[in-house]
Amino acid sequence: MKIQTQIAMVLNLDKCIGCHTCSVTCKNVWTMRKGVEYAWFNNVETKPGQGYPTDWENQVKWKGGWTLDKSKLHPRMGNKVGIMKNIFSNPYLPQIDDYYEPFTFNYSLLHSSSKFVTPPSSRPHSMITGLLMEKIEKGPNWEDDLGGTFEERSKEKNFDDIDKEIFSKFENAFMMYLPRLCEHCLNPSCVAACPSGAIYKRQEDGIVLIDQDRCRGWRQCVSACPYKKIYFNWKTKRSEKCTLCYPKIENGEPTICSETCVGRIRYIGVMLYDAEKIKESASIANPVDQYQAHLGIFLDPNSPEIIAEARKQGIPDNFIEAAQKSPVYKMAVEWKVAFPLHPEYRTLPMVWYTPPLSPIQEGIESGKLGLNGIIPDVDMMRIPVKYLANMFTAGDEKPVREALVKMLAMRAFMRGKTIDNVEDEQVLQGTDLTPGRVEEMYRYMAIADYEDRFVIPVSHREYAFDVFGDKAECGFSDGEGCSSMEIRLKNLFGGM
Amino acid sequence: MDNYINNLFFTYLPHIAMTLFWFGVITRIVKTSKSIQAESSQFLSKKGQRWGGNLFHYGIIMVFIGHFTGLFTPEHFYHLFMTTATKKILAVMMGSVFGTVAVAGITILLVRRLKDKRIRINSSPTDILLIALLLIEMGLGLASIFISAESSVENYAALGIWAQKVITFQPDSGAVIISHSIIYKLHIVTGLFIFMIFPYTKLMHMFVLPIAYFFRSGYQMVRRGFTKRPA
Repeated sequence: MKIQTQIAMVLNLDKCIGCHTCSVTCKNVWTMRKGVEYAWFNNVETKPGQGYPTDWENQVKWKGGWTLDKSKLHPRMGNKVGIMKNIFSNPYLPQIDDYYEPFTFNYSLLHSSSKFVTPPSSRPHSMITGLLMEKIEKGPNWEDDLGGTFEERSKEKNFDDIDKEIFSKFENAFMMYLPRLCEHCLNPSCVAACPSGAIYKRQEDGIVLIDQDRCRGWRQCVSACPYKKIYFNWKTKRSEKCTLCYPKIENGEPTICSETCVGRIRYIGVMLYDAEKIKESASIANPVDQYQAHLGIFLDPNSPEIIAEARKQGIPDNFIEAAQKSPVYKMAVEWKVAFPLHPEYRTLPMVWYTPPLSPIQEGIESGKLGLNGIIPDVDMMRIPVKYLANMFTAGDEKPVREALVKMLAMRAFMRGKTIDNVEDEQVLQGTDLTPGRVEEMYRYMAIADYEDRFVIPVSHREYAFDVFGDKAECGFSDGEGCSSMEIRLKNLFGGM
Repeated sequence: MDNYINNLFFTYLPHIAMTLFWFGVITRIVKTSKSIQAESSQFLSKKGQRWGGNLFHYGIIMVFIGHFTGLFTPEHFYHLFMTTATKKILAVMMGSVFGTVAVAGITILLVRRLKDKRIRINSSPTDILLIALLLIEMGLGLASIFISAESSVENYAALGIWAQKVITFQPDSGAVIISHSIIYKLHIVTGLFIFMIFPYTKLMHMFVLPIAYFFRSGYQMVRRGFTKRPA
């Protein structure tokens, strides 16, 4: 057993209101630069929809993630030879148009121009060419709140094995929000596909980073990542990605997206896992078993043997303590209400999601459809369980259904307790919940205090490099210190 | 050609060019290695990039291997396998195939760079000049194949002898090709010019070709954590 620690995240989709505060604060901090105008390290999609970049879940097209080839695991793009032979032209590379052409408006024109004959308008300019754009064809959140036609939106992969036509009717329409960021996978395919070895996973907190000094712009990672969370900076011609705000994490603070989430849907905590099980778990033959295999990697931070072994292997005490209080461990492993996004990609993602509850369809209110015991039947919900299962468990409906039942039971129990002042244990029938556990779930998932949501150990000074020499550095640069690209181009050795 | 000029270009210029080349390459790697990278524009426009990029790169790699082995294999060594006449036929055939492939590729790339608005606006003048320069050099190279095909075996063999005399510092190297066609000579001088500017251009990306990828154990890269570093 090789015990390692990972800073993981859970997003409680039941509470996401799709306000995009996470995306905007992330953008302001990380990608307000030339070359990455189009890049959103965190974005929020309305589902069902093709998402950003368009159709990102279609791995037949993009070749993201891993594939099993005679029980041997290699990136879906190909093995090392397969990746290297495409180094001069990557056939699976998304284009900027698959995201959107970034645009801006020349508002100063409204002040400076002479009187308009027509009502004043400001036309969009491309941020790539500076030229006027006739029409904005796409944006970072083009399908917001079910924008566009059902035909286009329903092309997404989560409708597989679902008779989707009935959802094209207005009264059957459903939607949910899906905030997405880098999954900081245990088995990252971007790392595997980087021929320069510039992308790496940090052992102490599992954050996946791109070393900007070693990135040579071979752009294989962009297609290798099945979540399309690596962005090619078209100006510096190198890849960039979500850093999980590692300077904040190291300091024991939550990421900017989590900190600013108004719905308090995000949880950050430590997970202990057995690194030796990664390969075996990612190589499970049937993708449907991938979620269970992923659960099997995690170690119980409260077990005395694990604690003793972790100490022996040099895991600091504050990481072990944080793992014991980890909200992620509780939701993912203890309560099993959180699921990985698309486990079938075999990257073992570490940003998990609690599936959203949705309104019970009309039929049940008019008394035509029965209740499943006391709480409503989850199959009566607007969002089909199969759709959620396709997203979170590779199509296995059982775990998703159980999680939804638990959440409904928690609601019913707490409603009874706080409104009618009765502890009705009957509503907990058929779940593994006890009144005590419901109270705890309620505390974490409904109240969601800051201290409960974010249990992040401060990283240790004695393990850090001496960074004094790096003071006043400029973060993302083009590899030659803080000088701008323009200055670099004038440098004798800066390249023509 | 005037003896003095011939000597200047084909005895001395190769040494000057190689000195500048290696000085530039070494200083660039030592001083600013972080800026050596592939400068792919595929993300902005893939039209033509697939065919152009692949044809050009695979073609030029084969052409490079052909030049290297063809020019620097000593006569008595390749005579173990083939006669000079056979080598000439081989060179003419391989050269025309891979040369055409590379020229086709770079022509697509040049058209793409000039025609595509996104690429054109985000290109520096040297991006375009470099492609044009390579196209001229490769065009001269293709033209020289016709001359090689028609000229004598000795005429062809002299090219290898010239190259080997240059790298072994023989003072009479230029004299070997004094009566050769102007096409060869322009090809050589343009080539030496490319060598001289090489370290200061994006051509440097060939020095960071990630061969090490094949020798990485497995796929993953993990940077050690929780290890106390020496104070």
